[in-house]
Amino acid sequence: MHLDGLSAAQIAAGVAAGEFSATEVARASLDAIASNEPRVQAFLQVSADLALEAAARIDARRAAKQELGVLAGVPVAFKDNMNLVGTRTTCASRMLGGYESTYTATCVRRLLDADAIPMGKTNMDEFAFGSSTESSAFYPTRNPWDASRVPGGSSGGSAAAVASGEVPLSLGSDTGGSIRQPAAFCGVVGMKPTYGVVSRYGVVAFGSSLDQVGPLGRTVSDVALAMNALVADGRDKLDSTSQDFRVNFLSQLDKLVEGMRVGVIPRLMEHQSLSVEVRQGMEVAQRALGEQGIELVEVELPNMASAIAAYYVIGPAEAFSNLARFDGVRFGYREPGCATLAEQTALSRAHGFGAEAKRRQMLGAYLLASGVYQTYYYPAQQVRTLITDDYRAAFERCDAILLPVTPTVAWHFGEVSDPTQMYAADLFTISCNIAGNCGISVPVGLGADSGMPLAAQLQGPAFFDHKLLRIAHALERGLASNGDTPLCLSGGERA
Amino acid sequence: MRKLAKALLDWEAVIGLEVHTELTALKTKMFCDCKLSHDDPPNTNVCPVCLGLPGALPVPNSKAIEAIVMAGLSTNCQIQRRTLFYRKHYFYPDMAKNYQTTQGPVAFCMHGHLDVEVCADAAKERPGLTVCKDADGSYVTTIRILRIHMEEDAAKMVHVGGAEGRIGGATQSLIDYNRCGTPLIELVTQPDLRTPEEARLFMEKLRQAFLALGISDCSLEKGSMRCDGNVSIRRRGATELGTKTELKNLNSLKSLHDALAYEICRQAEVLEAGGTVRQETRHWEPRKRRTVVMRVKETADDYRMYPDPDLAPFDLPEELIERCRARVPELPDAKRDRYVADYGLKVADASKLAADPAVADFFQKVVAREPELVGTIANVMINLVPAVRQVTPAQVADLSGLLAKEAITFAQAREVLQIVDGTDANPSRVVDERGMRQSTDVAALAAIADQVLLRCAGQVQQYRDGNKRVVGYLVGQCMKAARGTGNPKLFGQILNAKLEKE
Repeated sequence: MHLDGLSAAQIAAGVAAGEFSATEVARASLDAIASNEPRVQAFLQVSADLALEAAARIDARRAAKQELGVLAGVPVAFKDNMNLVGTRTTCASRMLGGYESTYTATCVRRLLDADAIPMGKTNMDEFAFGSSTESSAFYPTRNPWDASRVPGGSSGGSAAAVASGEVPLSLGSDTGGSIRQPAAFCGVVGMKPTYGVVSRYGVVAFGSSLDQVGPLGRTVSDVALAMNALVADGRDKLDSTSQDFRVNFLSQLDKLVEGMRVGVIPRLMEHQSLSVEVRQGMEVAQRALGEQGIELVEVELPNMASAIAAYYVIGPAEAFSNLARFDGVRFGYREPGCATLAEQTALSRAHGFGAEAKRRQMLGAYLLASGVYQTYYYPAQQVRTLITDDYRAAFERCDAILLPVTPTVAWHFGEVSDPTQMYAADLFTISCNIAGNCGISVPVGLGADSGMPLAAQLQGPAFFDHKLLRIAHALERGLASNGDTPLCLSGGERA
Repeated sequence: MRKLAKALLDWEAVIGLEVHTELTALKTKMFCDCKLSHDDPPNTNVCPVCLGLPGALPVPNSKAIEAIVMAGLSTNCQIQRRTLFYRKHYFYPDMAKNYQTTQGPVAFCMHGHLDVEVCADAAKERPGLTVCKDADGSYVTTIRILRIHMEEDAAKMVHVGGAEGRIGGATQSLIDYNRCGTPLIELVTQPDLRTPEEARLFMEKLRQAFLALGISDCSLEKGSMRCDGNVSIRRRGATELGTKTELKNLNSLKSLHDALAYEICRQAEVLEAGGTVRQETRHWEPRKRRTVVMRVKETADDYRMYPDPDLAPFDLPEELIERCRARVPELPDAKRDRYVADYGLKVADASKLAADPAVADFFQKVVAREPELVGTIANVMINLVPAVRQVTPAQVADLSGLLAKEAITFAQAREVLQIVDGTDANPSRVVDERGMRQSTDVAALAAIADQVLLRCAGQVQQYRDGNKRVVGYLVGQCMKAARGTGNPKLFGQILNAKLEKE
């Protein structure tokens, strides 16, 4: 069999009905991976044995007439910052090059509990520091639509694996846009749930107050299906920031959206950084929403411009602290032949981390230093409060806000080499993490010039993820009726 | 300690304590479910959280939070309802995450105090103090507590190949993470202590309070309670603080006292010789009875403290604080006051009985059996019971009854207690079986007294010459003649009556 065109929901239904076995699905996914990987390089590790074992167990349970989970037989890929026993968890870093997981992350566990099949671990920017997957210590992932372009990042591998048809679903993590931006670049749906909705336990931390795990899929309903599995058991008692948010996202999708309001920020729709294609994509999205009976209203987020500055204080500060444990003592890369502990710590870190990881940690170490802390960290937290308040005010007037995801379509390798230029491209995604709200990236078509995917972003208030998905679903429906999407890229369609 | 008294004539010591207490009574670690035990083989009570494995997250132990709230309530602290955990960064392998989870400017418990009563003897160490002394020369001083915060302990490191397990010269360092993540509360006093004895008494009282709460075994020897002393000296009358040194390895109350005393004398010598005290950390060597330099601190470490984003801010419900308040048992001071008021005991005796919760509990069980004999029971508890291994409240109650009825002497009571130690024997029966019961038959005793008086004509003459104290000797002779079964008080009365009559 071929996976082409099959949604996660269709696969689960087919496996449950016995139309095909989980093992057949797993083999089809492995075939797709085998034919696409030489070009795309979305995976760092393909867990064929784990996948076939899991598939065999699902088939055996079906044969025994046992009830199967909502993701029965659905091949899933996990970003390589998520622990899964039986795999390495490298964070695409030399520091964790050979690190074998000793336990399984809650988000991974929940998908497996829903009978998903673990296909492997996907490439990423090292420790999730980046927007292009170029900072992976091993190799870059290529955009399935155009191999000369980046897939985005940091969850670039997870987006590319879905876009290239290797798997119908994957998990990524989003600290400042790391799910939504690669989803936009690769033409798939990517959701960052509200902070606290999905457990962070077992996901290697970057910025603990910003990180959130979420699904990537080809359609909004597949993403909703994955969300159902992620929240199924309520709050994770292993993550003290996780919340009980058990909602049936799937059953909410087709509820009426008429009369709902989506806010647009005129200033941002005309932002100088936006490319012509992205502007056109936003117009397509506005039209599609309007056609679904959704009212567009103007709103403001006055402090949004400060979000990048606040993010590049809070993010590195937390990253410095979270990455302190990588010292070569208990696990990970250890510099051989050191005479003293200090030398071993210094050299293991100097040679284990790549340039961007070092840059962020040094920045964080500086920002938290006594005397500096009050100047940067503290005001950054104040900005955080202002941005959260801005959103609160805006959401009094609308149910969600429509934004671009990125200023441009996916860029070519090497095109953006200045880190601050890359940071600036996060303008539209970062404030959502700063405020802890939910956001989703939905493909809206292909650029007329570039031929690359275009996307629209919807952001909703905290713990209204179900409503956000409903509006995203309406957007998708509106686009489909115009014949624009969903995008589907069958294997080898483009070079 | 004459040297200390001399130094304290010219110099005033300023002492503050930092006391770490492991919450050994808890079953699990501070941020994970690992078993709390230091006796198991190395690295057996560990998990992703306390090993700091990538992706692991902390979840606070609610029992530990309750314990620190109780600790705060027992030391008159204000419980802070809104508080945070912070990360304190330093690279060292005993800290799995290379940061310690601790608290920032606002700790769970702030601004407490304990009062310390210093006896007349030690009051001499505070020559300037005149106003608040009691009639007997003792005084009470209030020691303010800055804060008590919650944190996690580090792993244990063992250095192999060097001398005495110290890091110098070691070829390998082994790490046991069983201790990593042990819930620890750190109490910091204001620099209100002025003498080593005050510090010792403060520590003793704090230990009694924490023992009464049942939150820790509070063993200074085993290190479940650890005390660091900060001490500086200044000329009497001066207001500026001198340079302080920090003392470590104070693993007994005696070490705490002696190390502070040594350090005060050392600093006085240095300053009197025209030198300066360096700010440094010093290690107490109990055998050599001296402190030696551990490390010199030239700059303050930058720990890059900031709120831990993995742990949501605490908003302690009033109801939790009240529940903890209800669980704080009667503390030694209150117990002592009650013993004085209700039982009419002397303050010193009441203090001794109230100090240790186990002793106080035992005492009250005995009193419950024989409420009328509380004075005798206190006497037995203080003077006889500490010498035996295992007796029951029933045995002590019975014994106290025998003493109160004057059926046996105090010396016999000691003997009886030793006989019943570790058995379930009944003291009354032991006394009967061994014929130890004292005779109160006045006629029989008078006959013995007559014989003694006849035999001891010399002493009788001394009495008549005015040496009334010789009666004691004669009582002793009577007791001997009666083979211990006579009542010495009765003998005394009989002898006095006979001697006066003649």
